[in-house]
Amino acid sequence: MRGRFLLRKERLGEALRSFQAKGYAVFLPYLEGETVLFLPYDGRREPFLEWPSTLPPKSILFPQSETLFYFHRTKKDGKVRVELEEVAPSQQILIFGSRPCDAKGFSTFDKVFVGDHPKDPYYMERRLKTTIFSLTCPFPTPSCFCLSVGLEPDGKEGSDIIATQIDEGLYVEILTEKGERLMEGINLEDGASFEGEVQMRIERTKRLIRRPFDPKDRIQVGIFEQEEFWKEAVSKCISCGLCTYLCPTCYCFNITDEAALDRGERIRSWDSCMFYHYTLEASGHNPRPTKFDRFKNRVGHKFLFFPERYEGSISCTGCGRCVRFCPVSVDIAEIVRRLKEAR
Amino acid sequence: MIERIREIAGKILRDANIFIGYERGFDAIHATPLFVRKEEDLKRLIWDPTCVHNLASYLPYMKERCGVLVKGCDSRAIVQYLQEGLIKREDVVIVGVPCRGVVDVKAVMRKTGYRPILNASFRNGRLVLRTDEAEKELVMEEALQGKCRRCLYPTPLLYDHLVSESILSDKDPDSVYADILELEGRTCEDRLSFWKRELSRCIRCYACRNACPMCICRDSCIAETREPKWVTQRSNLQEKFMFHMIHALHLAGRCVECGECERACPMEIPLLTIRRKVNLEMKRLFDYEAGIRPDERPPMYTFKVEEESIRDPEI
Amino acid sequence: MKRNPYLPELATVIEVVEETPNIKSLRVVFNDKEVMEQFSFEPGQVGQISVFGYGEATFVINSPPTRKDYLQFTVMKVGEVTTAIHELKAGDEVGVRAPLGNFFPYERMKGRDILFIGGGIGLAPLRTLILFMLDNRSQYGDITILYGARTPPDLCFKSDLEEWARREDVKLILTVDNPYPGWVGRVGLVPNVLRELEPKAEGKVAITCGPPIMIKFTLKALLDLGFREEDIVTTLERRMKCGVGLCGRCNIGPKYVCKDGPVFSYAELKGLPFEL
Repeated sequence: MRGRFLLRKERLGEALRSFQAKGYAVFLPYLEGETVLFLPYDGRREPFLEWPSTLPPKSILFPQSETLFYFHRTKKDGKVRVELEEVAPSQQILIFGSRPCDAKGFSTFDKVFVGDHPKDPYYMERRLKTTIFSLTCPFPTPSCFCLSVGLEPDGKEGSDIIATQIDEGLYVEILTEKGERLMEGINLEDGASFEGEVQMRIERTKRLIRRPFDPKDRIQVGIFEQEEFWKEAVSKCISCGLCTYLCPTCYCFNITDEAALDRGERIRSWDSCMFYHYTLEASGHNPRPTKFDRFKNRVGHKFLFFPERYEGSISCTGCGRCVRFCPVSVDIAEIVRRLKEAR
Repeated sequence: MIERIREIAGKILRDANIFIGYERGFDAIHATPLFVRKEEDLKRLIWDPTCVHNLASYLPYMKERCGVLVKGCDSRAIVQYLQEGLIKREDVVIVGVPCRGVVDVKAVMRKTGYRPILNASFRNGRLVLRTDEAEKELVMEEALQGKCRRCLYPTPLLYDHLVSESILSDKDPDSVYADILELEGRTCEDRLSFWKRELSRCIRCYACRNACPMCICRDSCIAETREPKWVTQRSNLQEKFMFHMIHALHLAGRCVECGECERACPMEIPLLTIRRKVNLEMKRLFDYEAGIRPDERPPMYTFKVEEESIRDPEI
Repeated sequence: MKRNPYLPELATVIEVVEETPNIKSLRVVFNDKEVMEQFSFEPGQVGQISVFGYGEATFVINSPPTRKDYLQFTVMKVGEVTTAIHELKAGDEVGVRAPLGNFFPYERMKGRDILFIGGGIGLAPLRTLILFMLDNRSQYGDITILYGARTPPDLCFKSDLEEWARREDVKLILTVDNPYPGWVGRVGLVPNVLRELEPKAEGKVAITCGPPIMIKFTLKALLDLGFREEDIVTTLERRMKCGVGLCGRCNIGPKYVCKDGPVFSYAELKGLPFEL
């Protein structure tokens, strides 16, 4: 049943256990050292829900490396023969404790890997079996700017359930059929009386989020094409690629064959448009040889090219990870703000 | 002090084309490198304990003569560049700023509950932070980066201008490697399980590599090349170990312990510890510390048939 | 297209032809007879060839759809995968993912005069269309081929060049970049020779392919000669991995070279970032 419920604080542990018992592979944010990461459910540990994870949960559905297929070469009469072996499907997955920006990231992935043609069978297989239980944001991180890209701290896009942390526990809103199926049999109370408080909390969060630009403002192509603009804005970038790895919407990947003697696998692994060899051709020619070209392409992809291909959807969730984790604090929001400023 | 920096930078701009310094970043606790090309941008320059970045890292890639603001640890990178012939002394105007330590920004964000920091000020050895929720005061000792608590070189070792009076280190040189010695004292199994736990978080983003001043292979890095192929694209513990071991060994006798690797790592892996262990070995074997005197030669750059401190096995 | 777009179809090499010291043509046949029979493609489409253990690389399907005893891919030895391809012998198995990408808009070229401008291995995609047009000769007007390479040994598809030189219904102009002992033909870079020839742009379609720098100057020359932007067609190359518009890397602005290309008209390229 859809609707709004209260899951008492004391009941959260038992709910998580029962999700696991139902056959879901459950992933939640835990504190590993000083880093918040999505890890498989461990009943002995307390999940960490205070602030967002360092790595978004995209790695659960889009692993950093995965095998596409195995191959085995044999030599028969001096000729090389090949056998291919495809990879087996997965089980039900529950991602618990993602933020609305993380869930929007999945929605972006879905547009490319499931909504477009051809579909990516590896991602799709997992995605169809995944339920996403997101938490709204009690406050923004120092670098959040989701409002500027049309998202909200209680955004529902991409989630099957969205819940707000209140003193009594979780105020839970079930949004989809998958969400219903997950919560079947879970001990829930009516949540209507907490609606007002939840609204107030969300409003308070919204007031704290910085708004460097407005989602409706357009990027000025004149500035976008100016070489000088990028030379100045991107001088300090060290071209490491961290921003793309931590981004909930970045989905670029590499395909490589890794073999030892006659057996091996074709794997796909995370790649980054910020790497020099991303577009390096075997001849040595590189259409995007400098970090300025690559950064311009990155901003272009997120705010111009992706929306052009996918009905205006911006490939940025405003989560701010790229800003606060960048070793030199390159601020993509500031760059986009300058690009959008009317001259 | 900031006025002095702006003044010197202004003078340098008339002679070189660029001055690399710091400006305020996206919030009160984050600074960010600033490449000053025009006089009107001089007023954006700042100097305070949020200026954590090692600006010397940009030098090998600068195609023109430039000025740069460096702290003590950063200046060691410049000295090391000169030892290795990676930059020419006349191509850089070094503005040294003696420093009492910079903040561990990630730790400060956690201590303020990871909420937006509306204001940060440094007063009387304290860092005062204001969020929407509260005002928090931290004693500087609490807020400093680990490397600053061991710092032996608060004043830059090489400079054309010194912005303020020299500061002498008050740290005991013998205690600098205390934490490494503690790790050495643990059993092999203990250490292995410690490093397995830490390195399993690595996502091979290469932030540590690109932030390191001494890592200049960048795009030709052995971690990514396929000819020869030393590391695959598989993301498992073996590959991560391999990458980090290669990285640490390539820095043997070159790492100036500026700590940028550890600061850049989003997974907060104690990378500096690995490099400092290698540095300790270099000190034991060759009595050598990287980035101290421009006329020294890094031991891994030289070859002697007979090494004083290495006993060859009898054949 | 199989359900899994990353899984190659197994094929066997039936012949390897040496074109130049560093270019070989690979001729393959799908192992599955039904797949081979039902396989169809348009001139200009590409395929990804896998040498398992080394990787995949993209090449235009070099044989025309009108001649389907085998699929031909012409490969220059430049890197890891192409070196492995050059080691292949008849009987070895490879993987093929094809057809990928778009194709030459030959429908709207019918009845018109065609000018082909190729450089080095850039003749490979043009060859597909040339053979296709020659197999349907009456549907097209005059066909002129301007082709150049660095040196005479670098000229590709020598047997085809000889045939085209002999034919009366095709005009072939060859050139090499610099004077070469024993070469008595034209000397000059392709874009310069193009300007010298002063072809009339009226009603003509120009199709060009070659190294990025050659394409850049040839496009400029064609515009200067008055060719219409929709009638200047080129086929581009990019580092490709998935070949189906998912991995993100082959983009020029919002267009993917593997999916929206590799064939583009100048009119289409004009609106995109200038990244050659």
